[in-house]
Amino acid sequence: MDAISITVNGKAQSVEVTPDTPLLWVLRDTLGLTGTKFGCGMALCGACTVHVDGEATRSCTTPVSTVAGRNITTIEGLSADGRHPVQVAWLNEQVAQCGYCQVGMIMTTAALLAKNPKPSDADIDDALGGHICRCGTYQRIRAAVHEASTKRTALVAAGETR
Amino acid sequence: MSAAAEKIARVSRRDFLKAGAAGSASLMIGFYWGDSSQASLATGAAKDFAPNAFIEIHPNGEIRLIAARSEMGQGVRTSMTMILAEELDADWSKIKVEQAIATSDAKYGDMTTGGSESVRSSWDPLRHAGATARDMLVMAAAQTWGVPASECSAIGGSVIEHKKSGRRVKYGALVEKASALPVPKDAPLKDAKDYRIIGTSKPRVDGGPIVIGEAHYGIDTKVPGMLYAVVARPPVFGGRVKKFDAEQAQAVPGVKKVIEVPVVEMPPLFGEERPANSGHQHYLWGGVAVVADSTWQAIAGRKALSIDWDPGPGAGESSEKQRAACAEMVKGPGKELRKIGDPAKAFDGAAKKIEAEYELPFVAHTTMEPPNCTASVRDGKCEVWAPTQNSGGMATALASALGIPASAITIHITLLGGGFGRRLNIDYGVEAALISKAMDAPVKVFWTREDDVRHDFYRPMSHHRLRAGVNAQNQIAAWMHHIAAPTTDGVYVGGDIPDTGGTELAGTGLANGTVPNYLLEASFLHTAVPRGYWRGVDTTWNQFAVQSFIDEVAAATGKDPLELRRELIATKAKPEAGAGDQAPVDVARLRRVLDLAAEKSGWGTPLPKGRGRGIAGIAGWGTYLTYVAEVTVANDGGVKVNRVVCAIDCGQVINPDMVKAQVEGGLVFGLTAALFDEITIEGGQTQQSNFNNYPMMRISDMPRVEVHIVPSHESPGGCGEPPVPSIAPAVANAIFAATGKRLRRLPFQTQDLAKA
Repeated sequence: MDAISITVNGKAQSVEVTPDTPLLWVLRDTLGLTGTKFGCGMALCGACTVHVDGEATRSCTTPVSTVAGRNITTIEGLSADGRHPVQVAWLNEQVAQCGYCQVGMIMTTAALLAKNPKPSDADIDDALGGHICRCGTYQRIRAAVHEASTKRTALVAAGETR
Repeated sequence: MSAAAEKIARVSRRDFLKAGAAGSASLMIGFYWGDSSQASLATGAAKDFAPNAFIEIHPNGEIRLIAARSEMGQGVRTSMTMILAEELDADWSKIKVEQAIATSDAKYGDMTTGGSESVRSSWDPLRHAGATARDMLVMAAAQTWGVPASECSAIGGSVIEHKKSGRRVKYGALVEKASALPVPKDAPLKDAKDYRIIGTSKPRVDGGPIVIGEAHYGIDTKVPGMLYAVVARPPVFGGRVKKFDAEQAQAVPGVKKVIEVPVVEMPPLFGEERPANSGHQHYLWGGVAVVADSTWQAIAGRKALSIDWDPGPGAGESSEKQRAACAEMVKGPGKELRKIGDPAKAFDGAAKKIEAEYELPFVAHTTMEPPNCTASVRDGKCEVWAPTQNSGGMATALASALGIPASAITIHITLLGGGFGRRLNIDYGVEAALISKAMDAPVKVFWTREDDVRHDFYRPMSHHRLRAGVNAQNQIAAWMHHIAAPTTDGVYVGGDIPDTGGTELAGTGLANGTVPNYLLEASFLHTAVPRGYWRGVDTTWNQFAVQSFIDEVAAATGKDPLELRRELIATKAKPEAGAGDQAPVDVARLRRVLDLAAEKSGWGTPLPKGRGRGIAGIAGWGTYLTYVAEVTVANDGGVKVNRVVCAIDCGQVINPDMVKAQVEGGLVFGLTAALFDEITIEGGQTQQSNFNNYPMMRISDMPRVEVHIVPSHESPGGCGEPPVPSIAPAVANAIFAATGKRLRRLPFQTQDLAKA
């Protein structure tokens, strides 16, 4: 096993795992970043979503060797203070029930808003259609995405970049 | 004085050494937290009273509450905090909820989290404990000021006021004095009209960590020296390992050891007495475990295993055979479960006869956090970190499987990434403990999604034959319902035997008790397929059949489906909710939610072509609920649920926003099953494996949901399960309204709706 270098939440890391190890298990087992969740192992549910160079990516089917040298952001690094507009909107709308899938939802939404600051309902269906919430919080997720969009636009107008 | 009020005492830290925090001058109020039967047993003599739970108020104003229920998304920690804060008039932000640890002495009574019971069972004990503490603090304030206690009152926010002089004091400053006072015997509870907190929408007390990835679920457990394991379980239910070759698996980097997991017998799930000669058939799965330094290495090791299985007697089972067997059984007589009048005679003599059969498949829970458990079994002691709804059952099973006394077992209940009944089963905990014991090291057993889908305890399949006889006055004179299904309870209590059926009847109501001649019978299908409790349990199947059939009778008699329902619950009627729900159905409350849903949904107003409305409702778990679903059916048969209006009366609401969340979520759970879910068996094995072939509802499938709560001060009803069962029949009825076609099998076979 050779060491593989990845950058997680701005920090360079060297991990000794087989190259086919999914990024998910490197994050969880090797680096102890357990905010990213396992849901299906087949990129079918979105629970494991992280950002790779800003793109929402399913870490459960991403071999760690393919992201060597790239910038990975997990929920732990989404915001310094836990107050990313998406996180705030999620609390305001009281989205979470068990909460297990929500980290993935939040990561995809943050990536969506960075590209498309004012998503329509159809855009939201498209972006989050790959995610599953077994508690059935979809109605609140939709509301929270719209709320986050509004908040984020206001922050960007005020000169903050998120 | 209620039993709960008698079960309160001041306690010393000595009584709660393990739970006690630093500092000595706090006020601790002990109370009894458990099922009502235990509470009433202990009512007799005060000296027998052993409090099993407590609240503690510190001099710095902090309040600790130990929650004996598992948090799985239903918001129980928040509801409990609200109930306590209300009667204590406490500063909401100062209450810290801690998860109770399950130990052998069952200190917190029955900690099972299921049956939509958590709020219902906490309501009385928590209110009385809060009121008692508040009374003592008021007395302490009165003594401090030298004024009568009657002139002092708690004004909320952990503050007591002497109105005449305008003096105020915070609880923290009073705890030392209060802790020396006698405990009042009958501290008065608030009148509901004076509630400040109960009935308001408070945010979750534990919501913050979720959005920053710091909520700790079972799967996130890490203890020093921990190894990771996955298990290859027998693909055929009831199968066993014949032999296995571990050589290649052992060669995978990071793999420590490959061991066989024994097929140990499991005790009854909830401490039930097992009947003699019951033919008990509840065993751990067994299989081969691969233990490694990381999850991925364990998974890679398992792929390299070569196992020769003995498939066992279940190998011949298939869904098609099971469906055919059930269809055959309902043709003849079954075991009579309920009979009113002379249904056969009334049916034979009916002016009009209506018959229909309904089918539902096995369905899986698929909690988003798959089963997992971390165990450390060393030196004759067992410590477990488990996402479990049933720590009591897990402790019993661990003691049995490990051959150690219950006193050697400690269970830390983590957050649950969904429960839905799957985590009432304790199989994954026993597996982890057996593997840890064999390794003499802490081990986390991880289940992949495939493991979860293929080795679940499924909601049983069922087949229903419904017959109604309508008399010359166009009224239902006879109603006969024959259920063919495997048992749920019997699996755990007494083996796969036919006459343990206790919960198969829930949700057969409405016709039961309202029609003059009624018959409910059941036939039991024997199968090796494991069954278990699935959110809404047997009510999910019975409701689909009964609420669909009422619609069919309405159509056959030319009545509006809403009007027929109103007719059925007309004043003389005494409908039954079914077994497991002892409280009689309050017809007025049932009628109110029916009317409210109809009104809010615009029942009877015209809809565009291709769109239809369907209604279905339920009384159960102390709650009354009606849905009106609005559905569009496309030319290709595609069904889109556009809108669902819900009227719910769940008695005194603690937190309206959480009631709404439970309705939204329960509806999705039921609708997912109605639209997509089916576990099929072939060669004794589950054919599905992951979300590609066992699909879930997605955000684009989500209808607009409107929840209307009936204001009420009746005792709180359950909210976790009541929203599940009625959505499938509401949608089936809406599809019929839209197309004139009746779908009688779940999941909906929508290809039958396609226009030629």
